[in-house]
Amino acid sequence: MTAASTPGLTIKGAAALGLPLPQTGYARQAYGNVSPDFGPATWLTIAPDGAVTVFAGKVEYGQGIRWGLGIAAAEELGIEHTAVAVVLGDTASTPWDIGTFGSQSTRHTGVQVRRAAATARQALLELASARLDLPLDQLACKGGAIASLADPSRSLTFAALLSGHAIEREIAADTPLKAPADFEIMGTDRRRLDVIERVTGRAVYSQDVLRPGMLFARVVRPPAFGATLARIDDSVASRMPGVHSVVQHEDLIAVLADTDQHADAALDVLETEWTEREGNVSQWDLPGLLAENSRDPVTTQEAGDVEAALARAAHQLEATYYVPYIPTAPMEPRAAVAEWDGDSVTVWAGTQRPFGTRGEIATAFGIDESQVRVIAPEIGGGFGGKSIYRPAMEAARLARVAGRPVRVAYSRGEEMMWATFRPAALITIRSGFDGDGRITAWDYHAVHTTTDRPMIGQRGSETPYAVDDVRCVVSAGPAPLKPGSYRSLGCAVNHFAREVHIDEIAAALGIDPVEFRLRNLPDPRYRRVLEVAAEQFGWKTAAAPSGRGVGVAIGLDVGSYAAECVAIDVQGKEIVVERVSSALDCGLVFNPEGARSQMEGAIVMGLGSSLFEAAEFENGRLLNGSFARYRVPRINQTPKIGVALVGADANPSTGAGEPGIVPIAPAIANALFDRTSQRVRELPLQRSL
Amino acid sequence: MITMDVNGTRREVADSRRNLLSYLRFDLGLTGSKYGCGEGLCGACTVLVDGQPLRACLATTGSVAGGRVTTIEGLADGDTLHPVQQAFVDESAAQCGYCIPGFVMSAAALLNRTPHPDAGQVREALSENMCRCGTYPRIEQAVMRASGATE
Repeated sequence: MTAASTPGLTIKGAAALGLPLPQTGYARQAYGNVSPDFGPATWLTIAPDGAVTVFAGKVEYGQGIRWGLGIAAAEELGIEHTAVAVVLGDTASTPWDIGTFGSQSTRHTGVQVRRAAATARQALLELASARLDLPLDQLACKGGAIASLADPSRSLTFAALLSGHAIEREIAADTPLKAPADFEIMGTDRRRLDVIERVTGRAVYSQDVLRPGMLFARVVRPPAFGATLARIDDSVASRMPGVHSVVQHEDLIAVLADTDQHADAALDVLETEWTEREGNVSQWDLPGLLAENSRDPVTTQEAGDVEAALARAAHQLEATYYVPYIPTAPMEPRAAVAEWDGDSVTVWAGTQRPFGTRGEIATAFGIDESQVRVIAPEIGGGFGGKSIYRPAMEAARLARVAGRPVRVAYSRGEEMMWATFRPAALITIRSGFDGDGRITAWDYHAVHTTTDRPMIGQRGSETPYAVDDVRCVVSAGPAPLKPGSYRSLGCAVNHFAREVHIDEIAAALGIDPVEFRLRNLPDPRYRRVLEVAAEQFGWKTAAAPSGRGVGVAIGLDVGSYAAECVAIDVQGKEIVVERVSSALDCGLVFNPEGARSQMEGAIVMGLGSSLFEAAEFENGRLLNGSFARYRVPRINQTPKIGVALVGADANPSTGAGEPGIVPIAPAIANALFDRTSQRVRELPLQRSL
Repeated sequence: MITMDVNGTRREVADSRRNLLSYLRFDLGLTGSKYGCGEGLCGACTVLVDGQPLRACLATTGSVAGGRVTTIEGLADGDTLHPVQQAFVDESAAQCGYCIPGFVMSAAALLNRTPHPDAGQVREALSENMCRCGTYPRIEQAVMRASGATE
């Protein structure tokens, strides 16, 4: 043990965790210049009064990472998770982190927090061993104290052990962790940690950050994508009451005012003329453009000779599927507040990448990263979309010019139009199969709208079904709207095409769709989620269309397996999803309530993109950029949802936040076919009714 | 000058055209009521005025002059959570939580007028509040729990 300046116990460790794995390698491509700070950082402290605090560079945007990390630390320390404070997403106090996306939080950060807590436990045991004069193996760490196994009355609390000490320890990579058989907290249902703050209004989101002397900004946005400013007259706007200034700083134009209403009023009278881009693509043009303008093909899976196998197949099927752009539409429109102190700046921003944002701001102003502090408060939904977070930079620039703290808060309309969209895709599948229900050829070609991120559509493009002759290719296509991240991203899009196509083959052969999948599915983890979901659903074997309105699909994302069975009804032009039975294998589960809650949320979110959500655009304008025009799922459309967790403790923890959305759209499309005999190959499904 | 009661405190407001949500959030610092859409469609800004739910984003201070305004910050009785708040805690009924104050206020208003709703009435009453995280199953359970229908 080394002496430290901080009283109590401090556990430090490397911060280079959560670097993107192959499944989420898009992160590295997307965010490029990530500059990991590999220096040791504080992961856990126990104060002299025994209070335990965990530090992690992740952010909380609904997925329950605070809950999960609290449980992880509590398990190793033998305390209740409610006794653990978790500090997140503050570049000044938490370990460096690449960003919160790709379901990496539990898988990497969770394990590091367990190691930190286990290191702390070991230090406490050693202190107690000396004080009680007992060997380590005769001591237990439980209930905030170290006690003799033989005589539990001989016990010292964390506070008693640490009083007067200032100890620092480093996490060893081989720190022994508790075995799953010994878990007392992990794997049990524990109440979410941060609900009290949420139900009392005390939780602070970036929209809620208010600083003394702060100016309210309204940024001038073009009326259309790609439009450039031709003329501006601020002579009236700048003299409006309550207006501080109209800032024109390079490409950034904004009204700064004493209140939000003064800023809105000034924006209304600001005269602007714009030069619009020629040749804007409309939503109706996009499928054809993708068909004719694909580029940069990447082969994601290849074996055998797919053309020869198609030529000799007993049966062949070719079909094309289309998935439109959708906005993430989180409940909280993004916002940021920036405050300069000399050449240092603090920015409160609900970004999924506080450390990346710090680097971008430091670069833009030519200052050192140590002069930039980014704090991510609670985030009102992100679903991947808040990885790119423009108001942070806008607020920093405006605050620099104004010499006062500035708040940039997006309106709902700005959030819809000026964030990013889940890419659209056009996918063509040619398959060959025999009369026994075996797939013999699989030729998959997806074109995903993308700018400079060829990885964007590759996730989940491979087929898990056994087939000797296979070729899966993903190409880039033109991107009239800015593509960005989204829950499960291209994986859900690729799975829609594949799982509907599989259903089409099963129907063509007159084979039950669960049975057909099982005949072609070698991976035992995949088979298990499918079997459990079908069993929980009460699946009764029948070929589609049976008229019942039942459908099934499976999915694999971020290392986790999912299967969903749905029952639907059709009422006029509405598809009513009545119930969903799902099974998830995400390996070792830290927090079963958290995993179930993420599955429920992913399924409900997926109802929207399955049934009615799509970005409508024409002439460079988003036509449905408000909740009056953009429909999302409501509580009275929510089906009964069952979630079975079937992962084995021996498998590493993988993500639970994203896989649930992957099978839902194809399961509903397949149920629609089962009910009505109408095969819909395009989302959102209700457009085709 | 108009007056109103906000969470038990008498307030004087000079500008009767001040947006009620902005007044609560920025002038009084009661940021628990959220801005979600500005069109009264998502329910994140729901407050109670004389016990009735109101979308604060569409109201002015003048429109509630003389009224008794309760925001999410004023719902609990000191340290004792309102039964709806406690039920949300017990059911872990929050993900990002941005919509939750609005849901809690709408549910509290529902239970004021219908103390023992059935699930259909809960779903109907909350169908004008939006949650993008899809916490709906837990929210429904929480409101049923608060009504005493479940344990």
